[in-house]
Amino acid sequence: MKLMGEFVKGLWRENPTFRIVLGLCPTLAVSTSVGNGFGMGIAATFVLLGSNIFVSMVRNIVPEKVRIPCYIVIIATFVTIADLFMRAYAPLLSRSLGMFVPLIVVNCIVLGRAEAFSSKEPPFRSMLDALGMGLGFTWALVLISSIREALGNGTLFGNSLHSGFQPPLFMILAPGALLTIGVLIGILNYFTKKMGK
Amino acid sequence: MKQLFKFGVILGVICLTATLVLAVTYQVTRPKIEGELSQEEQNALKVIFPAADSFTRKTMGEMEYFEALKNNTAAGYCLKITANGYNGFISVMAGIDPSGVITGVSILSHQETPGLGAKINEIKPGENDQWFLRQFKGKRAGKLEVKKDIDAVTGATISSAAVTTAINNAVNAFFKEVKNKK
Repeated sequence: MKLMGEFVKGLWRENPTFRIVLGLCPTLAVSTSVGNGFGMGIAATFVLLGSNIFVSMVRNIVPEKVRIPCYIVIIATFVTIADLFMRAYAPLLSRSLGMFVPLIVVNCIVLGRAEAFSSKEPPFRSMLDALGMGLGFTWALVLISSIREALGNGTLFGNSLHSGFQPPLFMILAPGALLTIGVLIGILNYFTKKMGK
Repeated sequence: MKQLFKFGVILGVICLTATLVLAVTYQVTRPKIEGELSQEEQNALKVIFPAADSFTRKTMGEMEYFEALKNNTAAGYCLKITANGYNGFISVMAGIDPSGVITGVSILSHQETPGLGAKINEIKPGENDQWFLRQFKGKRAGKLEVKKDIDAVTGATISSAAVTTAINNAVNAFFKEVKNKK
């Protein structure tokens, strides 16, 4: 049950986007279409999984004072692996995400989990934590990007919605991202509070 | 001092392992990535010069271009062009016949704003090519102007002008180079 908890917490109670509010930079940038959001989510999950497991495996050999460079090297390795594989096997997705794949290195969720969780916990628990956090990040991105794509571009998964209105452009530009995330966090907080009572 | 040495060794071992892993990944994915890129190039070539049956890669000075062949004679040229877009480089390919009339334009990659500049590569529902790029077809490159010869994408004059200017410059430079060679 406790192991399950490590997985589930990232999905809702400690959701990286809506509850801890980490990794907002990539969230703002790539949530312009559902395809991009989903691709980013999966890539970040892969990096989280790899880095969490490895950071946890070396947690007893790495001295406190040089831990950050060690974590960064581990994270950067997995990011590069993800980047190369995306370029080889998903060139379209890789092109539309562009610079944001290499930038997963500085996604604070990844370093945050290394520092807060996997540097203190055994590999299996770290793996569950990474999966939960990664999938939590992914569903948050998919939700935000479907709202933005539908309202700002009049499409969903690239298919036209035939909504018959001129989509307000700002929804797929930066202000739309901030508005969507803000409103969503507000709604989620409201319901969490209600359910808590 | 001893501690410093220990730190260095540990960090070194981690970096070495990371380098090894990356070297292997790079070797594994490289042929696939390169294949993917040249496939894209070939597809773009067919789009911008449909009349040709084969293409050969050539270089002239510092320019890289493709000669479009039809029945083994040169029917035109395909130039690889880099434009300075609104958000970074736009990689463009343009096909021209020997007199400088454009046979087609294709965008290989760009980072323009989604919903604005990105519409330079937009295919409208029910159509099968990009309306912005279609405008170049049949026009003589060299002095094309946005808003006069080419309709700009709404709200993205910079991206539209960048593509147009880059095509003009590249074609002019190409013909100048050809002249110099003769």
